[in-house]
Amino acid sequence: MASTYTLPVQNLIDHLGRLPGIGPRSAQRIAFHLLKLPAEDVQRLTQAITDAKERVRFCSQCFNFAEDDLCPICADPRRDSSVICVVEESRDIIPLERTGEFKGRYHVLLGVMNPIEGIGPDQLKMRELVMRIGSEDVREVIVCTNPNTEGEVTAQYIGRLLKPFDITVTRPASGLPVGGDLEYADELTLGRAISGRRRLDD
Amino acid sequence: MFIEQIELVDFRNYERASFSLTAETTAIVGRNGQGKTNVAEAMAFLATLDSFRQVPVAALVRDGAESAFVRATVKHDDGRELLVEVEIPRQGRVNVLVNKQRLARTRDLVGVLRVTVFSPDDLDLVKGAPSERRRFADDALVSVAAKNDALRLELDRVIRQRNTLLRQCAGRLTEEVGFSLDVWDERLAAVGDEIGQARATLLAQLQPMVEEAYQQVAGARVAVALGYEPDWRRTGLAAALTASRRDDVRRGVSTVGPHRDDIELFLGSMPARTHASQGEMRSLALSLRLAVHRLVARTTDMTPLLVLDDVLSELDPGRCEALLAHLPPGQVVITTASPLPVAARPDRVITIEAGQVKT
Repeated sequence: MASTYTLPVQNLIDHLGRLPGIGPRSAQRIAFHLLKLPAEDVQRLTQAITDAKERVRFCSQCFNFAEDDLCPICADPRRDSSVICVVEESRDIIPLERTGEFKGRYHVLLGVMNPIEGIGPDQLKMRELVMRIGSEDVREVIVCTNPNTEGEVTAQYIGRLLKPFDITVTRPASGLPVGGDLEYADELTLGRAISGRRRLDD
Repeated sequence: MFIEQIELVDFRNYERASFSLTAETTAIVGRNGQGKTNVAEAMAFLATLDSFRQVPVAALVRDGAESAFVRATVKHDDGRELLVEVEIPRQGRVNVLVNKQRLARTRDLVGVLRVTVFSPDDLDLVKGAPSERRRFADDALVSVAAKNDALRLELDRVIRQRNTLLRQCAGRLTEEVGFSLDVWDERLAAVGDEIGQARATLLAQLQPMVEEAYQQVAGARVAVALGYEPDWRRTGLAAALTASRRDDVRRGVSTVGPHRDDIELFLGSMPARTHASQGEMRSLALSLRLAVHRLVARTTDMTPLLVLDDVLSELDPGRCEALLAHLPPGQVVITTASPLPVAARPDRVITIEAGQVKT
């Protein structure tokens, strides 16, 4: 398709369009918006991106985002180092932290096993996880990958990978959303919740 | 349940056309190529969001238009009235609104409207590749229980991932590949065994119903068998995958599993695909559709709408009359290019010409 915009504009739209969740329409809207902004506003945005990119790196222990060698969670001595929660991406840590239920540390895989996207165990931080189990005093690993095809397969893989170690490997329960109505639960979630039911007196 | 009114906008050859149907039998007549099957296709699309002609959705949008729209008033047996609207864009996702409320998931549409289509292509159920019969069984599973749709999608996904992994390892079974395959196999085995069990249960339920329907349509008492005995079901899929691993790695594709199954159809003791006459094949295909139609009506307490798209002209007069005499209760839409058989007795006849309603 021939471009109707001048090259720099088209270039900007193309780059924005590669960002996750940004379709061609949104890319175009954002590009036009940026072009209308005063120069100093654009300057601040580019500075923010450059700063973040320069100063933020992966935590050397858990691969969460960090400004120093360790992320704030790994650096916090009050966190329980005997429990590791394995997540797909750094963004998954935020909702888990909001629960206030989890006091252990994390391990970010930076993805899940997905052959179609060319991601196997070697592209993920699996080896690093095994090394942590070997060197830290870990008793339990909670595998918090998403409950979809790739997430489940990755969880199984981790389960097998950690079998030789004398630790407990768990997976969070899936079921009904708290405060939700039965009537609005989809049949898959409800089905799983029923098969994973527990006795009332437990 | 029946469609009271259906409107097509920029759908196939229709710029804008509206059809009022009766709760019993409506006939849509017209010469070939005027758009009769397109109306049938639009009705079926509302139920499945897919074309029964197995074409990409974009093919449904009229030349020169950006989106096609189908809008229908559906009346349920309990008196409930639903307005179902779909927008089919040339590109992107199909939008579905039920009573002006957007549906988040396709699965939520199952049960709003159920449609059984008989089409001349159904002959492929008997004559065609195994994939036709798998599709038939899996479509039936979804119509009986919406949750089976998720199972089917999951199988597709796991098979695609596993096949990609097999291709990537380029014929070499290293320890790492084996370790990854272990977990994909475990997942495939879980989903596969579940689908295998669901298919087996469904086909066992259908068998006597197909036999009964065949007797009604063909007027002959013949034993009909739906043979579903894939080898992997004897040992369970997990064991079968282990046994076929070397072969799978060498060939770079999953050679065993529900995605390779066939359902063998027998008339008497002979395989229908190779031994039945053209007329017997047609009767058997109709019986398969009729049986699913009745099963859906029985298990869901909802009578699906029945569309006979150009099938009457394919049958000899005897079979045609037999079929019409045994049609289940409920709404029936018949499309035909040839004169209607007397036994059809439609309450309303709609004539179409070049994408326009004439009467």
